[in-house]
Amino acid sequence: MLDWLRFALSSALLVSGLLILITSVIGVYKFDYVLNRMHAAAMGDTLGILFCLLGLTVSAPDIWTALKLLLIITFLWFSSPVSSHLIARLEVTINPAWPQLPGNPERPVEEDA
Amino acid sequence: MTLSNAYSVLFVSALSVLCVLIIACFIRAVKGPSIADRIVAINMIGTQVIIMVGVVALMLKEGYLVDVSLLYAMISFLAVVVLCKVYMGVFLERQAKMRKEENSRA
Repeated sequence: MLDWLRFALSSALLVSGLLILITSVIGVYKFDYVLNRMHAAAMGDTLGILFCLLGLTVSAPDIWTALKLLLIITFLWFSSPVSSHLIARLEVTINPAWPQLPGNPERPVEEDA
Repeated sequence: MTLSNAYSVLFVSALSVLCVLIIACFIRAVKGPSIADRIVAINMIGTQVIIMVGVVALMLKEGYLVDVSLLYAMISFLAVVVLCKVYMGVFLERQAKMRKEENSRA
């Protein structure tokens, strides 16, 4: 009975993690600019992997496997913001259209015709 | 339906969903108009492969496969950092060369 309870908890966590990953992939297709897409991708990188690996941790056979899975979550939570920051800086540096994009505080004010 | 049966159904269905997601991300990486688009898609593929390796580790009941997953996380982070640095370096070098040509022309 307790094993079935563990299975139910693990499958619920795994399925919700997969739903978040599906949402993030749909978001990557829906948005039309890199910095918007990165928002959706970062959601899958943090919340999606948290739920999936927690679901795997619940059904892990021994304590060391569970601890290693928690270590992966911790590592990704530290590394994902760093890589997002690097990608955003790359985009802002490379894209020549960046100062003209809407939402930029340094965008030159348009004069009235 | 026994417990191990239920676990195998869960793991196989999770693996097939992850396969579809990885193919979708790969299409995004091929289509993506800018370099940053491609790097974002590659990063997402890395995350999904980490989950896939974890699922396979529990499905085969081989604990050491989780180490592979941890190493994959580290290497995919390193790949993103290196790709960003390389593309930034290439861009800055090209810009410096163009500035030098303009100066010599003026």
